[in-house]
Amino acid sequence: MKKSALELRDVTKVFQKGNDMFRAVDMVNLSVAEGEMVTFLGPSGCGKTTTLRMVAGFELPTDGRITIRGADMTNTPVNKRQIGFVFQNYALFPHMSVYNNVAYGLKARGEKESVIRPKVFSALELVGLKQVENRYPGQLSGGEQQRVALARVIVMEPQLLLMDEPLSNLDAKLRLHMRSEIRKLQKKLGITCLYVTHDQGEALTMADRIVVMNKGRVEQIGTPFEIYSNPQSLFVADFIGHANVLHLPVTSIGDEKISVEIPGGGSFSARALRPQVYHASDTIYRTGSTAALIVRPENIGVIERDSDENHFAAVVVSAIFVGSHIEYEMTLKNGEAVKASVPYQNGMTIFREGQEVSLIFDAPNSVFLPS
Amino acid sequence: MNTLRKAVSLVLLVAFCASSAFAAGAQEQVETGGTLNVYSIMPEKYATTIFEEFTNDTGIEVNFVRLSSGEALARIIAEKGNPQVDVLWGGPADTYEAGILEDVFAQYVPSESQEIPARFRSPDGYWTGIGVIPLTFMSNTAFLEEKGLEPPTSWNDLLDPAYRNSLQMADARTSGTATERIYSLVQALGEDQAFEYQKKLHQNIQLYTKGGAGGAMPVATGQAGAGIFYIVDALDIQQQGYDLQISYPKEGVTYGVEAAGIIKGAKNLSAAKRMMDWASTERLGQVMVENRINYIPTRPDVTVTNPALDMSKVTLLEADASWKGENRSRFVERWIDEVVQQ
Amino acid sequence: MDRRSGSTVALIHISATIGIVYSCQAAHNPIAYKEGAMIERNTLKPTRKSLMKSDPALFSAMVAVWISFAIFIFLPLLRLVMTTFVIDGTFTFENMKEALGKSYHIKALYGSLILATAVSISGTILGYIFALAVTRTTLPRVFKVLLGGVTILPLISPPFTSSISLTLALGPNGMLLKAFGIENFMIYGFLGTWISETLTYFPVAFMVISAILNTMSANLDDAALSLGASRWRMFRTVTIPLSIPGIGNSVLLLFGASLADFATPLILGGHSFPVLPTEAYLMITGMFDLRGGASLSFLLLIPALFVFLLQRLLIGKKSYISVTGKSGARTEFAKLPRELSMVIAVVCSIVVAFILYLYAIILWGSFVEVWSVNNSFTLRHYEYVFKHGRKAISDTLIIAFLSTVIGSVLAVIIGYIVQRKKFIGKRVFEFSSLLNYALPGTVVGIAYIIAFNERPILLTGTLSILVAAYVFRYYATGIRSVIASLEQIDPALEEASLSLGASSTRTFTHITIPLIIPAVLAGMRYLFIHCMTAISATIFLVSVRWTLLTTRILESMTELQFSQASAFSIVLILIVFIADAIMFYLLKLSTAKFHKPQEITNEKIGA
Ligand SMILES: Nc1ncnc2c1ncn2[C@@H]1O[C@H](COP(=O)(O)OP(=O)(O)O)[C@@H](O)[C@H]1O
Ligand SMILES: [Mg+2]
Repeated sequence: MKKSALELRDVTKVFQKGNDMFRAVDMVNLSVAEGEMVTFLGPSGCGKTTTLRMVAGFELPTDGRITIRGADMTNTPVNKRQIGFVFQNYALFPHMSVYNNVAYGLKARGEKESVIRPKVFSALELVGLKQVENRYPGQLSGGEQQRVALARVIVMEPQLLLMDEPLSNLDAKLRLHMRSEIRKLQKKLGITCLYVTHDQGEALTMADRIVVMNKGRVEQIGTPFEIYSNPQSLFVADFIGHANVLHLPVTSIGDEKISVEIPGGGSFSARALRPQVYHASDTIYRTGSTAALIVRPENIGVIERDSDENHFAAVVVSAIFVGSHIEYEMTLKNGEAVKASVPYQNGMTIFREGQEVSLIFDAPNSVFLPS
Repeated sequence: MNTLRKAVSLVLLVAFCASSAFAAGAQEQVETGGTLNVYSIMPEKYATTIFEEFTNDTGIEVNFVRLSSGEALARIIAEKGNPQVDVLWGGPADTYEAGILEDVFAQYVPSESQEIPARFRSPDGYWTGIGVIPLTFMSNTAFLEEKGLEPPTSWNDLLDPAYRNSLQMADARTSGTATERIYSLVQALGEDQAFEYQKKLHQNIQLYTKGGAGGAMPVATGQAGAGIFYIVDALDIQQQGYDLQISYPKEGVTYGVEAAGIIKGAKNLSAAKRMMDWASTERLGQVMVENRINYIPTRPDVTVTNPALDMSKVTLLEADASWKGENRSRFVERWIDEVVQQ
Repeated sequence: MDRRSGSTVALIHISATIGIVYSCQAAHNPIAYKEGAMIERNTLKPTRKSLMKSDPALFSAMVAVWISFAIFIFLPLLRLVMTTFVIDGTFTFENMKEALGKSYHIKALYGSLILATAVSISGTILGYIFALAVTRTTLPRVFKVLLGGVTILPLISPPFTSSISLTLALGPNGMLLKAFGIENFMIYGFLGTWISETLTYFPVAFMVISAILNTMSANLDDAALSLGASRWRMFRTVTIPLSIPGIGNSVLLLFGASLADFATPLILGGHSFPVLPTEAYLMITGMFDLRGGASLSFLLLIPALFVFLLQRLLIGKKSYISVTGKSGARTEFAKLPRELSMVIAVVCSIVVAFILYLYAIILWGSFVEVWSVNNSFTLRHYEYVFKHGRKAISDTLIIAFLSTVIGSVLAVIIGYIVQRKKFIGKRVFEFSSLLNYALPGTVVGIAYIIAFNERPILLTGTLSILVAAYVFRYYATGIRSVIASLEQIDPALEEASLSLGASSTRTFTHITIPLIIPAVLAGMRYLFIHCMTAISATIFLVSVRWTLLTTRILESMTELQFSQASAFSIVLILIVFIADAIMFYLLKLSTAKFHKPQEITNEKIGA
């Protein structure tokens, strides 16, 4: 098997907060292949930055090992790791020109000026900057600063490219643009990249694989598709795409599927997931207790009230027409809220507030998790 | 182990720099024979003139710093293990007596010592007198006229309420002039009466100054009316052109012996001895007279031209240096407890 | 080597070893060995490396700094403690009892505390009034510039200069008293000392408070006014409460300064109002009593340390003056009510006129033949100064220059370590670095002369002892400004440099230093001014070979050469003024380079 570009084993970081110990990162395990782009996704404060900083060497792990291309780097100083780090606020040196910013690392490495010059210019060209080399960072726009920060790192040809929310200081439009540029560049250079973000759109569009973190722990690691369609925990389901989570009583348990009782009558069955955290022998679904049904707003159809027993009876709370879609907010008979997002077609009826409706849940795209 | 080596060598480098700084410090101490280091209690302007003449006569360069008598003695005691200077120049003999108790002076009898009356030198050769300075009253002429007073001629004149808040004289804790004043009073009136007197005098005091001459300028400029000073300080300010009256109490005053001595462990001993020899000759007295440095020379054979230094009509009281040295601290403590804090 | 110097060596070694042990534990992780109890250990234990291996430059710097602390801070203090408390090899309170047994000394203790309290209050009030005048009134710009300029004078003059001219103006038969026909005004004692110290120290309050008044958000003023508050009400409910930290800090600063001042009471205290630093000085120089003086200075140490700690507590970790460089749209501060502005203008005018008058006396005095008798013009005193004072001038310049350079380097290293590094004993480290600053100058001077008079560290009479005394006492301002500056520089800049492969040393010299240069220069200005004008610690340390302008001035004063003293003072003030102007110019130059076109990223530096 190919040696992995980066290996984290049981990496843990404990901070002292006042008199308490606080686990910012808790037993993180991860293996990243050469040329792979892995994003870390999770709410603010979940430990993404800390994990990245341990990989970089800014923080030393309290426990665990970090291996880069097979070499143990757990305690290696930052400047010996050959990583490139792009900071949230770019951290350009304000007292140096763009040229000197990009040349900084090469100079520190002791390269000759004749080697440095062409490298700096080709790096600047690669990120799409021209004729700014004599300006100071203060004279550049946010997007340009971002590019300089990128150029400063890739000119070093690092083993690993680490980025901590690099786009969060840009406006929405530029952010979308830079997303694809960074992805293109990463593929072109074939560089292994860890990318931290709290924006799921960014994670889904850029990553080969996503690491979802919560409270210092890894919730799930998988391709964007896996993460989206097979969330292994309620947290992931909720965090990615704001799925509806409905807690319903279980009526029967099959091999792969389980059935639940629809509030107000009827039954619904769909695939039941067994998250990796459970042992095979654990009984995780029981008749009589509830299971959590995960269904995304776009997988719900809204029709006039009928009597199909696989449909969910609901009352419209609000309906908003947003152009391509109609966004419904409704309540089920048991009082739980449900959101649906229905594609709009010409001549379609739009249900009004207070109207009774039936909901069709798309069973293949719905899953159960233990609640 | 490259980093380890770097660390160790850096530490060594720092240590080396530090130690070389100390070494430089230590080397500064070593002086060659042609120079002499001196603490002068004598005012800078006099010392400068006198040392210039000494250098002219002997070729020995003098480095000096002027300190008050207390500071000088404190320094010399503190530096006992490693003396910084060779000679202490000027200052009252009782400072030297105090120093002898701390074992900081070396014995040396200068070449022409026998020409100097015995009461002007240490019986054991620790110090030699270079000038005599009686205490004197000095008053501001304008002040006297304004209050309708004659220049004071008795200690009791100063108790006149007309002087209320108008006298400046030295503080006994810091000034040899002040202790001389107490010696004079004790000799003239007796010890207990002397302190009774000072309690009364305290009512008229505007300020006890830190230095013996500290009150002279205020008296000269009219800030104060009168004060008690060594003659050398009084004449000095009068010579600057201020309108001042100098007078003596009929009960008498003691006088200070301005001395000089060699520091024990002096690094330039032979030069120090030459300075002491030079100081015992007529030459020093002549230099003082020529430059209007108003000490009465200890050599009786030097003729004094300034009539103010003519002591024939002044009642001089004798108080030898060892008596002064023995009683100094006790008098000062009494002075603080009974006079200042009453 | 005799026993005593042997013990000295041992002492240094112990202090240095403590320092090294501390710095060795300074792993990146502050809780490296505390967490064991809480975490079930994994079998894959990372090996923890010592600081010596992971960051050799920092390690050596720490060792060097601890060694210098050991020699120039702990050793003198320890020797002072030993002199005070050890008689014939046994620990005893005898000296202390004796010092405390005299009612005059108790009176001096009270005197010190009363004076310091009075000065801190009056100085702060005056400083506040000046600060308001400059930041919150519509007074003409010229007037504000004048206020700023005049308040610099007391800061750059030797401490007793104003005392002397004050005596001439307000002393018995003083010129001002005569002019106003006032009788029975007794300047010697509490009153004179208080006035003189207030005039000397209020500029410090002015600077501290105007800095905080300037950084307040003008929007708050607008908000208060738009809510219908009157200007009076706004002043009471917004301006004053928000300036409380500045006021508190100023009170403590002035309290400490007054507590340590020995020159002013020496000239103006008289005999009825003793204070401790002066008594300690007199005890040593007048009564030949080193132990007694040491004991008295110990009495002084308690309130001095108390105030110092209180101040540290108040300012806490954050510097409350945040010069973020953020230049958002800023509105003007609301002006004070008209009546209040008038009162402020009048008070400021009187004080400024008085200060100018005092300095005019000195200037005039330096040019007249014989003070108040023969007032014809002469340059004689300046001739004297340049003939006989040349050595003092060049010595002072050499000492001030060396101290400024060495002090700044140390301030940068210490400030950097304190602000950027995590290590065990950091508080102790920071506290140690500021100890000499917290102690009154006389204490430090006495401690130095006791400690450095014998082998192996024989420094009395050398240049080194003077430089060391200044450096370890006055680099404190430098440390503070370096720390404040670092607090505003995002550590990501340094991390970026490291991640680009630069060593920590290169990062320090290429990134950190250029970014904090303005703060370093600002610290240097103060350091230089202090080295030129301070006297309390160094009066004990001048020697035959190295002398100082300030001691020459004091000397001229005691020799009744008032005109000469004035000439010396004027020369000194001019030198400081010029040097200060040069450094101020450099400061502007260094900040102009990248701080000007920096508006966008400055926010990021400040992040
Ligand atoms: N140096 C530190 N000391 C103490 N706590 C820290 C430190 N750095 C981060 N933390 C805490 O660790 C947690 C994780 O932080 P971080 O990794 O920055 O989260 P994020 O996922 O938003 O990047 C947060 O609660 C943060 O407050
Ligand atoms: Mg983060």
